[in-house]
Amino acid sequence: MRKLISLSILSGAVLVCLYPFVWMFMSSFKTNREIYQPTLLFPEDFEMDSYLSLFSEQYLPFYSFFTNSLFISGMQAFFATLVTAATAFAFAKYSFRGKAFLFAVAILVILIPKQALAVPLFDWMLWLGLQGSGWSLILPGIASGLGIVFFTQVFRKVPNELLELAKLEGYSITRTFLLVLPLVAPALVTYGLLHFILSWQEHLLPLLLLDDENTTLPIALAKLRDSSHRIPESVGMAAATLSLLPVVVLFALCFRKMKTALVNLALS
Amino acid sequence: MGLSQQDKASILWLLAPFFGLWIVFWLVPLILGIDLSLQSPTYLAPHRVAIESPVQESTQFSLDWNSPQKIIGEQSSQAKYIGLKNFSNVLEDAKFYKALRNTSIYVTGSILVIIPFAFTLSLCLFQLPRISRGLLVFCLMIPGLALPGVLSTLFYLFFHGRTGALNQYLVVPLGFDPVNWMMDPSFIMPSLIMQAVWRWTGMVTLFFLCGLEAIPRWQWEVAKVEGAGTWLTVRKILIPNLWHLALFAMVFLVVDGFASFSGAYNLLGGSGGILDSGLLLVTYVYQVAFPGGSGRFDFPGAAAMSLLVVPVTALILFVILQGRRSLIRR
Repeated sequence: MRKLISLSILSGAVLVCLYPFVWMFMSSFKTNREIYQPTLLFPEDFEMDSYLSLFSEQYLPFYSFFTNSLFISGMQAFFATLVTAATAFAFAKYSFRGKAFLFAVAILVILIPKQALAVPLFDWMLWLGLQGSGWSLILPGIASGLGIVFFTQVFRKVPNELLELAKLEGYSITRTFLLVLPLVAPALVTYGLLHFILSWQEHLLPLLLLDDENTTLPIALAKLRDSSHRIPESVGMAAATLSLLPVVVLFALCFRKMKTALVNLALS
Repeated sequence: MGLSQQDKASILWLLAPFFGLWIVFWLVPLILGIDLSLQSPTYLAPHRVAIESPVQESTQFSLDWNSPQKIIGEQSSQAKYIGLKNFSNVLEDAKFYKALRNTSIYVTGSILVIIPFAFTLSLCLFQLPRISRGLLVFCLMIPGLALPGVLSTLFYLFFHGRTGALNQYLVVPLGFDPVNWMMDPSFIMPSLIMQAVWRWTGMVTLFFLCGLEAIPRWQWEVAKVEGAGTWLTVRKILIPNLWHLALFAMVFLVVDGFASFSGAYNLLGGSGGILDSGLLLVTYVYQVAFPGGSGRFDFPGAAAMSLLVVPVTALILFVILQGRRSLIRR
């Protein structure tokens, strides 16, 4: 009985979550007229025009925006995971002078997000000569406060005996860190994925910092839906479907690891 | 653990990349921001006007090229630093309070809906076998993976409107008149909150589910042996075990809510919507900094506003964390 109730609540929730995306996918084949009838699910006939126009770059260089997004988010996620894990390892396992202060500083990064500093960051990037290139997003993205907090919790659970053993073997701390890394692989994957998703979704900073020719997907999508309505809605829908694809695939691949990491964190 | 000289050097190596980047890409912009917020908005460096064009095109607004030039003409006669004038200007700005109020409603509203929703869903999931749990949570999380812009577009085309799904499946069958979700000022905020709920409930559900799976078996058994009722189980097992996850979710939602830009930007085209009832803080900062709706072109004002938001978020996070202390003590 209980199971039946839970199952019905859940199927309702899943329907609300998934149906609009199914509709979105179907809409990428529809004509404008069909899209403006939201209760209609299937198109009359499946026209591939929208996908073809995206790949032939009829409206915008979609392919280069797509690879740009992948590059920026991928680099950010990879380096942010590595860099914050290293710092958090030192925070979690060793005591040194100024540790409390430095940790407070990392929390401050969460409090004042990059978005709040967008305007001066824009000026500063101009001065550095990075404005317009993808590095103007990647480099600030690596210094993530959330990563420090997350990995400090993760590394606290690594047994101290292991570190002492490494010390007896004569390993340096940097070497010990590399030794411990595989042990926390689920956490690394989890944070990398989270960071990837967050930077994949970032809208304000690419709008300010990147040149028009090499922006990222969120801005391209906003452009496809501009006020003039000269681009068919189905093209926007096709782009939206394609923008969802890499994240869903990555997420599906990492989902099991992510759950392990979160359960481990919750075990206290 | 005593550290040798060599150990200290290795620790420095571990810390250096993060804090190096932190100084260059966070501390310097912060100082520049503080510096900028003390300057007169009419004292604009010419180079800054010249490079505005790429940004302008992407915001769909056409810039009146005459007004910035007028601003440059005045710069010699004006003092560069004007003290805290920008801050007091922001504090006197009625629209700032409106944006602050809207953002607070947005954040509290979404937290108050998401946390109980996710809690219920995770309890439902916990009843099911392990394999189906993963699959269902995955489905619930898909809206969180999509770009906020995509969510807004879907919201606009699918949910919104007279014939939209919200009206067709929910409002009309319940016997109400169709609601114009994006045009009626009293419904813009609920629409934005609904979007946030749709987006984040799945992720918070995953947090709670992992928390539930981490509860040691003996706690459930004790509850069973003692014959604890539902309420007692919730209070003695679920809340203490899930509280820190709920807290983490809240912090995440507060930070995300105060930084949220994309959803409202796509939905309302960079404006605040009718009567500014959907004006969020970041959107307003953007409006002030880059001439569009208001045409103010006011970088220092925008910087001052961004800095004024910091104590607000800090205060909220402090209150949330304080709440945890009192709950644990009890």
